[in-house]
Amino acid sequence: MELRGKKVIVTGGVRGLGRAMVDQLVRNEAAVTVFDLNLAGLEELRKQQSSVHCVECDVSDHEQVQAATSRYHEEFGAADVLINNAGILYSKSLIKITPEGVVRHDPTMWNKVLAADLSSVFYMSSCIVEKMVTTRTKGVIVNISSVSANGNAGQSAYSAAKAGVNALTAVWAKELSPMGIRVVAVAPGFTETGSTKEAVSETILREIVKKVPLRRLGQPEEIAEGVLSVIKNDFFNGKVLELDGGLIV
Amino acid sequence: MGQVDETVGSLLAEVLQIPASGVTEDLAMKDVEAWDSLKHMELIVSLEQRFGIELTFDDIVAMRSVGEIKRVLRERGAVN
Repeated sequence: MELRGKKVIVTGGVRGLGRAMVDQLVRNEAAVTVFDLNLAGLEELRKQQSSVHCVECDVSDHEQVQAATSRYHEEFGAADVLINNAGILYSKSLIKITPEGVVRHDPTMWNKVLAADLSSVFYMSSCIVEKMVTTRTKGVIVNISSVSANGNAGQSAYSAAKAGVNALTAVWAKELSPMGIRVVAVAPGFTETGSTKEAVSETILREIVKKVPLRRLGQPEEIAEGVLSVIKNDFFNGKVLELDGGLIV
Repeated sequence: MGQVDETVGSLLAEVLQIPASGVTEDLAMKDVEAWDSLKHMELIVSLEQRFGIELTFDDIVAMRSVGEIKRVLRERGAVN
C-alpha cells in the first residue's frame, strides 16, 4: 500500500514507539490521526505536527472507542490503516517471595494490563473494520505485539496480552483477507523508550542487552520503519514481524 | 443456461463443497450449514474476480440466495 494520502490511525501515538510511527507516517504524507488518553501530550503533538488530527480517547474503554471512532467516521469516512499501538508495559511475576512472605500478582493490574494491551485492540479493530467492510475499503490493521508473547519471566499479564494480540492477528487475517483487509503484527524486542526505562531497572536492562546478539536496545525509529514496511508490502499478511536484534533465534 | 447461471452454480458448488445439482434457484444461506459469512465472502470475491465487477456492501448483504445472487449480478452488468 502506498502511504501518501492514506488515512492512518495510530493509538498511543503521543510518545515512544507510537510517536516515532507518527513522525515517519507524516514524512510519508499520510493523513494521520492519533487516539491517546494523554491530553497534554496530544496538545504538545498538535503543536509539533500540525497536520496530525488528535483525538482524546482511552482505547481500553469500549464506550469511549465507540464514540470516538463514530466521530472519526463522520468526519473522515473509513480509515485505510489502523495501528494498534497503545498499551502499558507492566512487569510482575506470578508470585514474589519476600522476607515477609509470598506476594501474589495483583489481579487489578492483571485486568488493567489485559484491558490496555488486548481488549483495546479488539475494541478499536471491531469499530474500524466494520466501517472498512461496509464501504469495501481495502485496508491494513497493524497490531503492535512484543517478543514477550513468547513468554517472558516476570511479565505474566503483559506476555499473555501480547500472545492474545498474536492470536487475533492470525484469526483476523483469515477472516478479513477475503475482503481485502490485511492484518499483521510487529513485535519489538527491548526498545529504548520511556516506558521501557520506567518498567525495567537499569541493572536488568544491562543484563538484557547482554542477551541481544546485537548488544544494544532497538531504537523507536527502527520499529517504526518495520511498521511502515509491513503496511507497504501487500503480500505480508497474518504474520508477526519480530524486530528484536536477534534476541529470539 | 446462461453464463451467469453456470458460473454461479459452479462457484457455489466449489466454495460450499456441495453437488452442482443441489444449487437450485431458491437455495439460500439458511439452507446450507457451510454457507457462513466467511464462505459468503469467499464466494463474493470469486464472483467479483470472475465477472470483473465490484459489489457494494448492500449487494453482499442482499445476495443471500442463488436467485438474489443472479439478480444482483445481472444488475451490476455481469455478462450473460
